[in-house]
Amino acid sequence: MPEDHDWEAYKVPPTRTPVSERTTSVPNPVDFFQTAFSYVIDAPVTFVRGLIERLQPKDKAHYYHQKFRRVPDLSECLEGDYLCYYEAEAQWRRDRMVDQQIVEIVRERLAACKQREGPNQFQNCAKEMELLAQVTKAYQDRYGELGFHGNARDCLMKQKHRMMEERKAEQGKE
Amino acid sequence: MAAMSRVLRAAAAWAARRAGSTGITGTTGITGTTGITGITGIAPRLPGILVPVRHSGDHGKRMFIIKATSFYDSRFLSLLRFYIFLTGIPVALLLTYINVFIGEAELAEIPDGYVPEHWEYYKHPITRWIARYLLDPPEKNYEKDMALLHVEAKKTELRMLELEARRLMRHRGDGPWYHYETPDKNLVDNSMKSTPDN
Repeated sequence: MPEDHDWEAYKVPPTRTPVSERTTSVPNPVDFFQTAFSYVIDAPVTFVRGLIERLQPKDKAHYYHQKFRRVPDLSECLEGDYLCYYEAEAQWRRDRMVDQQIVEIVRERLAACKQREGPNQFQNCAKEMELLAQVTKAYQDRYGELGFHGNARDCLMKQKHRMMEERKAEQGKE
Repeated sequence: MAAMSRVLRAAAAWAARRAGSTGITGTTGITGTTGITGITGIAPRLPGILVPVRHSGDHGKRMFIIKATSFYDSRFLSLLRFYIFLTGIPVALLLTYINVFIGEAELAEIPDGYVPEHWEYYKHPITRWIARYLLDPPEKNYEKDMALLHVEAKKTELRMLELEARRLMRHRGDGPWYHYETPDKNLVDNSMKSTPDN
């Protein structure tokens, strides 16, 4: 069974759902479904999983997240140094994957916040919305229209054009 | 079969009553036998009339049911099951053993000063086994690509240098290429050109 993610990384704020007063004497059907689910599906599955866990060896193997060393960037490579290009390209692709996952996580947090808050989402989730807007804008600036075949060199050229336009804008302002 | 025999028995009773009544009415009247007796005579009779049958055990008469052949269908299904289970059952047992008794790996922090082997980055034991014994480590792949790039880069550089040298030698004419051996000028016979009137 997959482990839960690290709850300390993002502490979910306590819910502020008000306690509802019952106005009908009809029992909540959700309770029935929850007990049915826990008796019919949850308990047997947990029991079987417990049996299997007991059969597995105590000293289990471990797997790790691979940590890659940082190598010189594409902007620090000499021209014609194809080995440096290759390593910088590999590092850029890994960084792009990491950035994609970061955007995913921030999106999921916003979705979780909306689900929690319900009708109050526009006020209570403002921070998450702001964070998502910033993160997606940053991602779009960096990796935006490079396309599927984008590589580190295209990204560097895009950054160069961005800096040139910023400089032009500053010079235009003066 | 029992239900069929009951239906047949009911049909037979009705037929026997009809046949029996037409035959017996002439002699004794309908107050004759009420039970079903054995058929006598060679008069045509309706099919399904019960006769005392052996080996029945209340299953009724043994019937030869005429239907289309299922020989080919059942042979196909039987062969299908055989060949699927021939490798399917060992594979299923193997997978069950691996998933139940060996189990997946747990995520852990890399301990200080320890460099994990390249197969220790995967979770499932079969993936780990394949990465360990069948595939090359990704570092080796990386180095292979870099070696290929290095060789090709050197080749490119040498070819560029050769082109440049050739261009310069052609242009300057002072190199070993692009010049052709000419005979020594002392060997040239200038007697034909020595006087202006020849």
